[in-house]
Amino acid sequence: MSAAVLRTRRFGLGGTYYGVAVGLFVVLLVISAVCGPHLFTLDGAAGAIIVVVPLVLAAMALTPIALVGRGSVDLAIGPLIGFLNVTLVQVLIANDVTSPVAVIAWVIAVGVAYQLLQGAIIVFVRVAPIIVTLSGYLVLSGVNLVIMPKPSGSVPDWMSDWGSGTTVFTPVLLVLVIGLVAWLLFTRTAFYQHLRLTGADERMAYASGVQTNLVRLGAHAIGGFFAGLAALAYTGLISSGDPTQGSNYTLSAITALVLGGTSIGGGRGGIIGSAVGALDMYLITYVLSTFNFGIVSGFVTQLAFGTVLVVALLSNIFLTGGKATAR
Amino acid sequence: MTAALRPAAKQASVSGALSRNRSIAIGLGVLIVLLVIGAALVGNFLAAENLRSMLLLAAFLGLASLGQTLCALLGGLDLSIAYVIGAANILLPKLINLGLPPVLAVIVVAIGGAVIGAVNGLLSFRLQGQALIVTLGVGFAVLGGAQILTSLGSSFAGTVYGVVPVWLSNMAAINGTTFGLHFPPIILVWLVISAGLIMIMHRSWFGRSLYALGNSRLAASRLLISELKLWVAVYAISGLMAAITGVLLLGFSGGGFADVGNPYLFTTVAAVVIGGTSLLGGWGGYGATVIGTLVLTVLTTILVGIGLNYAAQQAVFGLLIVPVVALYARSPPIRMQI
Repeated sequence: MSAAVLRTRRFGLGGTYYGVAVGLFVVLLVISAVCGPHLFTLDGAAGAIIVVVPLVLAAMALTPIALVGRGSVDLAIGPLIGFLNVTLVQVLIANDVTSPVAVIAWVIAVGVAYQLLQGAIIVFVRVAPIIVTLSGYLVLSGVNLVIMPKPSGSVPDWMSDWGSGTTVFTPVLLVLVIGLVAWLLFTRTAFYQHLRLTGADERMAYASGVQTNLVRLGAHAIGGFFAGLAALAYTGLISSGDPTQGSNYTLSAITALVLGGTSIGGGRGGIIGSAVGALDMYLITYVLSTFNFGIVSGFVTQLAFGTVLVVALLSNIFLTGGKATAR
Repeated sequence: MTAALRPAAKQASVSGALSRNRSIAIGLGVLIVLLVIGAALVGNFLAAENLRSMLLLAAFLGLASLGQTLCALLGGLDLSIAYVIGAANILLPKLINLGLPPVLAVIVVAIGGAVIGAVNGLLSFRLQGQALIVTLGVGFAVLGGAQILTSLGSSFAGTVYGVVPVWLSNMAAINGTTFGLHFPPIILVWLVISAGLIMIMHRSWFGRSLYALGNSRLAASRLLISELKLWVAVYAISGLMAAITGVLLLGFSGGGFADVGNPYLFTTVAAVVIGGTSLLGGWGGYGATVIGTLVLTVLTTILVGIGLNYAAQQAVFGLLIVPVVALYARSPPIRMQI
C-alpha cells in the first residue's frame, strides 16, 4: 500500500478516522454547556485540564504501538505509568535528586527502556504482543506494590503546584503541547510512513524493504516516550507516589484509543483521534456527574463507557467504510 | 489474530498431534514438579484438606476458563467473562430477594449470560480482530447495568445480601458433601463437564468445525461451516459458563459482590495460554486448559504458603507466561511468511 493510498484512506470520502470522536466531542461539549457551565469558567477548565492530560497522554502512548499492527494493545500502559510514578518518588526523590532535568530524563528514559524491552521480546522471542503486554501488566502491577506498598512520598517543590489547577496555562498543559508537537514532527518522517505500512500489511512492508523489526522497536520506543510524559503529568496530578491507581489507566486509555478511531488491527488511526477520544471520556464522566444519580453514579459511568465503546467501534467501522480487519 | 500470523497456526497443525501431546506432557510434568516442590516447602501441602481446597479453587477457574478456551480456538478472546461473573453474582441474590424461586432465578441468570455471550459473538464476528475491545465494552456495560439494577431500592452499592439456598452453598462451599463423601460437588461437576467437552471437541461436528475454522477460514468455508453460527455459539457458551461460575461463587461466598470476577479478567487468559492453547486459533483444547488451571492453582497455593501476597503472585504469573508461550506458540520470522 503506497503513501498515496494511505493518504486517501485518511482524508478520503469516507471521512477521517477520528470523525466519530470529534462528533461526539461537539455533542458532549454542547450538553456540558447546558448541564454544567462550570466547565467553561477559568477554574473549571483549569481543573479539567489537570485531570484529563494524563489520560490523553496515556492514550497517545498506545497509539504508535497499535498502529504497528499484529493486534498490539499495550495492556501494560497503566502499570507502567504507576511504575514510573513510584520509582520516581521512591528512587529519585527519596534520594534528594529533584532537579527537573533529572526527573524528566528519568521518566522518559525508563519509559522508553521498558517499551524497548517489550518490543524486543515481541520481535525476537516472536510471541504474540497481547501475551507480552499481558505479562507486563501482571509483572509491573506486582512490582509497583513491592516497591511502594501503599501511597506515600512527595514531589519536588517545582512540581508541587501542578495539581492545584488554578490557571489554564499550567506546566501540565505544556507537557501535553510538547507531546503533540513531537508527534506532529514525527508524522513528517519517512519512519512514520514505514510504521503505517508495517501496520497495514507487515508482509508487504517487509517485501518492500522496510525493516519491520526495527519499525516495531521504534513504535514501542515512541510509545515509551509518551508513557514517560503521561507519568510526569500523572505524578503532577496526584503530587505523590501511588502503586495502584496508575493501573486504572489501562482500560480507560484503551477505551479512548478505540473511541478515537485507531484500529488495533494496525495501520489506521493516529494521535489526534486518541487525544479527542480521551477528552470524550472525560466529558462523559463530567456530564454524568452533573446529573444526580446518587450511589449508582459510578455504575452509570461504567455502563456509559461500555456502551460508547461498542457503539463507537461499530460506527467507526461503518462510517469510515473501512473493512473489518481480516485475520 | 492478524494476517501475518496465520501461517504459524497452519504449521502448528501439520505437526499438531505431536505438539499437542508434547504440550500436555510438559504441562503434566510441570504440575508434578510443582506438587513435589509444594510438598517440600509448605507443611501439610498434600493433606486431604489442602488438596480439596486446591481442587475447589481450580474448579472455579476451570469453569470460567472453559469459554475462554473455545474463544481462543477461534482466534478470539472474551474479556467480558470477569464482568459477567460479577453481574451474575449480584443479580442472583437480587432475584431471590425479589421472591423468585432459587432454581428459576439460576435459570434466568444462566440464560442472561448466554444471551450476553451471543451478543459478544455477533459483534466480535462482525468486527474481526477486535474481539478484545468488543467484549471489554460489553462487559463494562453489563456489570454497570447489573449494578444499577441491584442498587435500586438498596443502600449498599455493589454488594447484595440475601439468603443463599442450602443446595447452592453445599454445591460450592469447602465443607460441602457429594453423596455423603467429604468434598464439594462442584469438583465432580467440573470433572464431568471437562470429560464431556473434551469428547465433544474430538468427536462432534461442532468440535471439529471449531478447529477447522480456527486453522483456516478458507478451508472452513469450503466445508460449508457457518462462521457466524460458530462465533455466536462459542461466545454464548462462554457467557453461559461465566454466569454459572458467578452463581457458584455466590454459593462459595454467601453474599453477592460485584467485583468478585475481577481476578478472572486475566487469569482465565493465563490458564489458557499456560495450558498450551494458542491465542491465534485452531490449536490446543480444553484438556490443556484443565492442566493450565491446575498448574496456576497449585502455584498460587505454594506462593501463598511461602508468604507472598496477591501482588507478588500476579508478578510471578506474569513472568511465567512469556516463556511458556514461547515453548508452544512462537510465530515464524517474517522472512518465512512471504
